[in-house]
Amino acid sequence: MLLCLQYSKEEEARFLSHLDLMTAMERGFRRAALPLAFSEGFNPHPRVSYASALAVGVTSEAEYLDVQFREELAPEEVLVRLNKALPRGLRVKRAVPVSRRKESLMALINLACYRVKVPFYGWADGNTGVRETIEKAMSVPAYLVQRQGKKGVRQVDIRPGILELAGSLKEENGEKKLVLEMAVRTGSSGNVKPEEVVEMLKALGSWRLGNNLRIHRLGLYIYAEGKKWSPLERT
Amino acid sequence: MKEREQVQEWLEEVLPKVSKPLRYLGNEYNAVKKDWQAVKLRFLFAFPDVYEVGMSHLGLQIIYGLVNEQSDYLMERVFAPWTDFEAELRARGIPLFSLESATPIAQFDCIGFTLQYEMSYSNILNMLDLGRIPLLAKERGDEFPIIMAGGPCAYNPEPLAEFIDFFVLGEGEEIILEIGAVMAAHRAKRQGKQEKAVLLKELAQIPGIYVPAFYEARYDQNGKFAGLKANEPEIPSRVVKRVVKDLDQANFPLKPIVPYLEIVHDRMMLEVLRGCTRGCRFCQAGVLYRPVRERSQKLLVEQAEQLAQNTGHNEISLTSLSTSDYSCVEPLLRDILNRFEGRNIGVSLPSLRVDSFSVNLAKEVQRVRKTGLTFAPEAGTQRLRDVINKNVTEEDLLQVTEAVFREGWTQIKLYFMLGLPTETYADLDGIADLASKVLRRGKEILREIGSKKAPSITVSVSSFVPKPHTPFQWEAQDSLATLQEKQSYLRTKIRERGIVYNYHDAEISFLEAVFAKGDRRLGKVLLEAWRRGCRFDGWSEHFRYESWREAFREVGLIPEEIANVPLDPADPLPWDHLDSGVRKEYLLKERERAYQGQTTGDCRLTTCSVCGICQDLKVRLLLRKGEA
Repeated sequence: MLLCLQYSKEEEARFLSHLDLMTAMERGFRRAALPLAFSEGFNPHPRVSYASALAVGVTSEAEYLDVQFREELAPEEVLVRLNKALPRGLRVKRAVPVSRRKESLMALINLACYRVKVPFYGWADGNTGVRETIEKAMSVPAYLVQRQGKKGVRQVDIRPGILELAGSLKEENGEKKLVLEMAVRTGSSGNVKPEEVVEMLKALGSWRLGNNLRIHRLGLYIYAEGKKWSPLERT
Repeated sequence: MKEREQVQEWLEEVLPKVSKPLRYLGNEYNAVKKDWQAVKLRFLFAFPDVYEVGMSHLGLQIIYGLVNEQSDYLMERVFAPWTDFEAELRARGIPLFSLESATPIAQFDCIGFTLQYEMSYSNILNMLDLGRIPLLAKERGDEFPIIMAGGPCAYNPEPLAEFIDFFVLGEGEEIILEIGAVMAAHRAKRQGKQEKAVLLKELAQIPGIYVPAFYEARYDQNGKFAGLKANEPEIPSRVVKRVVKDLDQANFPLKPIVPYLEIVHDRMMLEVLRGCTRGCRFCQAGVLYRPVRERSQKLLVEQAEQLAQNTGHNEISLTSLSTSDYSCVEPLLRDILNRFEGRNIGVSLPSLRVDSFSVNLAKEVQRVRKTGLTFAPEAGTQRLRDVINKNVTEEDLLQVTEAVFREGWTQIKLYFMLGLPTETYADLDGIADLASKVLRRGKEILREIGSKKAPSITVSVSSFVPKPHTPFQWEAQDSLATLQEKQSYLRTKIRERGIVYNYHDAEISFLEAVFAKGDRRLGKVLLEAWRRGCRFDGWSEHFRYESWREAFREVGLIPEEIANVPLDPADPLPWDHLDSGVRKEYLLKERERAYQGQTTGDCRLTTCSVCGICQDLKVRLLLRKGEA
């Protein structure tokens, strides 16, 4: 049976690379004695496919994976057993049976939502307000960022990939933070990193922002027909 | 505690900046976090190398598991921080802290270092310094943790005598709870405080404990080492190692810590036996871990089941010094393979003997994946293999490699040692010839079976280091220049396509010999070298030979006089007071037989060669032939 799991990667696990996370998950499934299905061939791998690789240092409350079991199991049982077996910082929140997908989970996911906390050191010239600054920045038709690829540096326009962007100022442990929430394109159809959105806001807004970002993923979606679908409900 | 919060806060900021932050988290699966207030004693296991190396060490998991099972004690871990992390610690004045509770290491009651390798000594000093603990034992008052050390290098710990409060000889699981009991009782009488001078005297009464401060080294008028003597009445003149009698009764960690990041040996470790009596004359482990004790198959299978459940690893390694020597290795292997195949858990053997039996085992375990195979003929000619008592013939090796190629393997790694006693250039030619023969045989067979692949042979050559408690302990190491010359000579000899030749840094092997054989005077050198920035000396990228030379000059010691000069069997050795259970007369006899090119059989298969272990330590070989 194929189950889609929604899981969180919390503070204690935020330094796991995607490879570390895959290992930790496989060990979790094994400790929970869940009947993983394996690929055929020379070097069998568990049939687990991940929605998206989360960068090292980033936390998330909505990561997804599809896992194939050799037997039918109650989703609730999988959730309970797996949570007992996972290391600190990894937690399964929902388990839903899904039918075979048209494409891999990773190919389907095309939208990611983030909350980013940016140290805020004040306005550069007069108080213009967060909303106005963001609106102004978003009004540009294009914004080019440099990306290091295998064939050298290339320029990419990230503006079309930013679907929603909002922000507010908050006080945290005596430090002022600009708290951004954004929905950006992810995957092969165009990928925008939250750091790049912050870079754009730094360049276009009249404020002074710090470099020490805390990034948290709020959700991953299949964006189709003008609507955000959870991978738990759409295959 | 305030310091812990400070460390946590600092970590938040620093972890994103350093390489492999997962090394420093301490929240791995099965890591034990205990309440500091609820226990009587707090131990810290300190591994003087990087996390990935330390976490691959079975001894750590054994001691950690055993101590944390006791309700009155806790044990946490610390590893040598990598250089980038050290720089951050020093920049912000943060003291080195434990992984589990982020407690500064100076707040523990007892810190235990494991001495696996001489070239990790500078890391010990560095870790103490990072923990703001005075390096010299005599400068540490009652308020500091007691520093202990154990492991193979504790059998000649003299270079560390000034820094360590006491050493443990032998197998840690046999003695650690006795140490705990003495320490806990000592503190109970003193409102949780300790009086170090008294405590060390109490500890010295435990068999297997060596407190270096209670012994004095003497030197003759020429500055030659003239023996070590206890300077207090109730102190034993000899310290004898501790041995687990029955491995089935010994504690084994069934809930080992499962790291987040990939470590060197990233798999379950099932210890099938301890000890090896093959009797290679250069091998220190073969002496230190005598006698051979096997674990019963029934228990091993149970342990494997539990390990699989508790770790989730996808591979089981059957570990020991020589796993193919386990009496029932085939039935054990079959049982484990059958049990775990359906769960896609593989089995691996760490080392293989050079015989067809071992090839069959390899065939069994590598049903799926065909990685390379490694064999260790150690020397290039039959003459020299007889000298070192490596009972392998050229015909054995060729037959084995033939079988290996026939089974479809194409990569073979061959280990050799260079600079062995009595070695000549003919022996080096022998290495090249042997590699060449193996390659040729491989080509023929691969062609015969219609394989399109070409065989690939790796010849890996290390330099001989004379080690204490071996028949070769009196030998001189070849001079550095000779070792390097021999390495270059071999390079000119091994030129064929299909053979890769690599060798170890001879300067590291030279210092390894100095510290393996040295006495207390080396402590000053170590301190100087550390002051000059030496650390991670076993890592070529960090090894600073020039700084070491300066340190020797500064102290006025000539390292060549330690490494490159043979010792007279009539003279006292710096480790004579430390008893591995193997008699010196046996080592001398073996040395004599080496010179005569006579081999000595394995006592499991032939007669007892009276090494002294069973006679003097009241232990015996424990084989499990025919036991289910």
